[in-house]
Amino acid sequence: MNSPRPFVLLLLALLVSCFGLAAHLQPQFQAWRGSRAKGDIFNVVLGDSRRMFANQFYVKADEYYHSGYYPTMFDDNAAFQTTHMAADTGAVNDKNHGDEHGFLGPTRNWIDAFGRNFFPDRHTHLDEGGANDDLSGSENVREILPWLKLSADLDPDNVQTYTVTAFWLRMRMNNAKEADAVLHEGLRNCPDSYDILFELGRLYYESYHDRDRARNVWEQGVRLWLKIYPTLDPEAQKDNRFIMEQLTTHLAKLEEDAGNLPHAIEWFQAAQKVSITPGEIQKQINRLKGKLGEEFNPLAKPLY
Amino acid sequence: MKNIFAVAGIVIKELYRRKDFYVLFIVTILICLVMASVNIFNDAKIVRYLKEICLLLVWLSSLVIAITTTARQIPAERENRTLLPLLAKPLTRPQLIIGKFLGCWLACGLTLLCFYIFFGALAASREHQWPLLNYFQAATLHWFMLGIVVAMTLLGSLVFAAPSSNSTILFVIVGGILFVGRHLDQVALTLHEPIRTIVYSIYFAIPHLELFDVRDLVIHNWPLIPWLYFSLALLYALGYIAIFLTGACLVFRRKAVN
Amino acid sequence: MTAILRTEKLRVEYRSREMRQATKVALAGLDLEVGAGEVFGFLGPNGAGKTTTMNVLLGFVPPTSGAAYLFGIDVRQPIARQRIGYLPELTYYYKFLTAEELLRFYAKIFGLSRAEMDKRIPELLKLVELEHAAKRPIKSYSKGMQQRVGLAQALINNPDLLVLDEPTSGLDPLGRMKVREIIQRLKNEGKTVFFSSHELGEVQSVCDRVAIIHQGELKAIGRVSDIVGKHANLEEAFLEIIGYSTPATP
Ligand SMILES: Nc1ncnc2c1ncn2[C@@H]1O[C@H](COP(=O)(O)OP(=O)(O)O)[C@@H](O)[C@H]1O
Ligand SMILES: [Mg+2]
Repeated sequence: MNSPRPFVLLLLALLVSCFGLAAHLQPQFQAWRGSRAKGDIFNVVLGDSRRMFANQFYVKADEYYHSGYYPTMFDDNAAFQTTHMAADTGAVNDKNHGDEHGFLGPTRNWIDAFGRNFFPDRHTHLDEGGANDDLSGSENVREILPWLKLSADLDPDNVQTYTVTAFWLRMRMNNAKEADAVLHEGLRNCPDSYDILFELGRLYYESYHDRDRARNVWEQGVRLWLKIYPTLDPEAQKDNRFIMEQLTTHLAKLEEDAGNLPHAIEWFQAAQKVSITPGEIQKQINRLKGKLGEEFNPLAKPLY
Repeated sequence: MKNIFAVAGIVIKELYRRKDFYVLFIVTILICLVMASVNIFNDAKIVRYLKEICLLLVWLSSLVIAITTTARQIPAERENRTLLPLLAKPLTRPQLIIGKFLGCWLACGLTLLCFYIFFGALAASREHQWPLLNYFQAATLHWFMLGIVVAMTLLGSLVFAAPSSNSTILFVIVGGILFVGRHLDQVALTLHEPIRTIVYSIYFAIPHLELFDVRDLVIHNWPLIPWLYFSLALLYALGYIAIFLTGACLVFRRKAVN
Repeated sequence: MTAILRTEKLRVEYRSREMRQATKVALAGLDLEVGAGEVFGFLGPNGAGKTTTMNVLLGFVPPTSGAAYLFGIDVRQPIARQRIGYLPELTYYYKFLTAEELLRFYAKIFGLSRAEMDKRIPELLKLVELEHAAKRPIKSYSKGMQQRVGLAQALINNPDLLVLDEPTSGLDPLGRMKVREIIQRLKNEGKTVFFSSHELGEVQSVCDRVAIIHQGELKAIGRVSDIVGKHANLEEAFLEIIGYSTPATP
């Protein structure tokens, strides 16, 4: 009676039946577990909530961009509507307004006043200067990259992570190769993204000095935009006009550099339709028209 | 004084003869080393995310060690009845409380020292700099914050019978203070009247542990905290430690032990 | 004979936490006196109030009314405990320490100097026959060894009065004999020993005087021979005193 054999046999029988059942049910499970069974580790563990985390890390990157000096949900966020690391890339519509230095407001009580001695009361960017400023700043901005990478891994459909990552990799780290890889991965995940195409075009044009490829990519971006824009709701349409302006003005500059002034004027005219400052663009058009006149109208020059 | 240190010595001995501290320490090291080995765009100079993760683990581990070690001190003495021979000796109850507090606090200090040395080595391996004063300020404030937590836990272990419920309550309180303590006054403003006053009073009554959370000081290489405010913060911590220990003595004074 | 330990109309009520349960009277006006150099047996069935009396003497439980004195000092003052040694019942000492470390710890609480410790601790370990296990953690000890560690810690300050709560309970005959020997030796050194027990045989063999309590009341006190009196032995006397008539043996 005390022999362990019956128990060993029973255990074996149970194990065999469990494995058999599992093997039998596996296909069915696969069928209705949907994306979770196939996805990567984040997908399996977090499911769709990973997008929420992804945004957390995206904001974390911007927090690093400010060396940790960053408003919370309780502070004045008006100046932080668009992450500054993204706004500085010149590829997104910047909605920030107000004083980004004073988001803490006046001190509320002695505990608050005391607490403010424990973090620096100054506003910094890891690297001063954005797309239009001095670009020779320090390489400290590399510190935002891990969070951007994590964010992209968690939410592969968020276009901004790719463009922002690529921009800083290219501009500050001088790492066009990695930026290229990031953008191509972005394109694999979001093939219809004209934002990524815009950034890719800048990479080709500004880093590789490859005018033809840049033109191709940007023109593809414009085509996609024209296709997608009418399907967006009015609010999204308003946001998306900015990228179109960027695409067309960059194309115009490219054509101007290439000497195709009529093309350039056409692109500027397209930009005028979506710009909030059409007057500025008109000046560009006039400038180009003047230049065109100089080249093709000998009467414009004094004959003698 | 001698007998207070004798009690404290036992607490420290217990900590290093039990295994949980080593487990937390090794887990922290492993996670950090794994994170350090992740390749991010082929750039080996990226360091702040690593410092952040490491410090986060250090903070979590230190809180776990502080709360769980302290929460079981007096309940274990009661359960094993070692409280009886101890109190039969010329050791007053306040001395026992202070001894236990000092033991737990020093034990936390020793573990912090290990953790921060590891942290400093990890950071220096990438940054090649030792901002020693930043580390000193961050670790000292961290340690004093743990002092408040230890004192609170000690009081809790006399009020709540079961160490597990005491630890749980303490984790919730400490976590709550660290996350929303700084903004409780702003939360109060969004509430309606009787609750608003209550929340506002809580804001002024609680120990503001989040003041001591200056991890960013070492993560982002911030400038040092002015030494005046640094010392004031330590005084602030000592004040709350004294309050909680006095409370613990009062609760323990009239309690029958058997 | 000077009274080293004295209680006056000592009354202890345990108020239960649950509201509905009645308060429990553990001691109902106990008067005791133990003189210097005596070995005093404190007898009573389980739940009689022996441990409660000791808890009052050591200040663990405040008396509801009445008073208790050690060396003439009210027990509510910690100084009263400076010269006593105490062995609680059923105690599990710090498992992660060795016997030697445990004794060193208690010695520090008494403020013994290092030289005193180095002399006293080996002596005690020899007395309770634990020299061979002194460097082993207490968690590896048997019950008898744990009890002897307890005795050693009670003696660390070379006390004048020993309060031992059921020092022999749960030990095997050999262990009990060893404890008895130690008590005997302490008596020879002129110490006062106040110990509780319900093992009547051993009480008879070592005690000068005994007290018998039942349900918190003192039923008898005096020399062992006086209490045994006309009975065959202490056990019969005890059973009669606590009101239990022996059933006729068939
Ligand atoms: N903490 C307590 N709460 C309530 N009742 C108690 C408590 N401790 C002891 N008692 C009761 O007091 C009586 C005396 O207990 P005790 O002194 O331990 O007896 P003894 O040691 O003689 O066996 C018992 O009836 C016991 O149930
Ligand atoms: Mg008892």
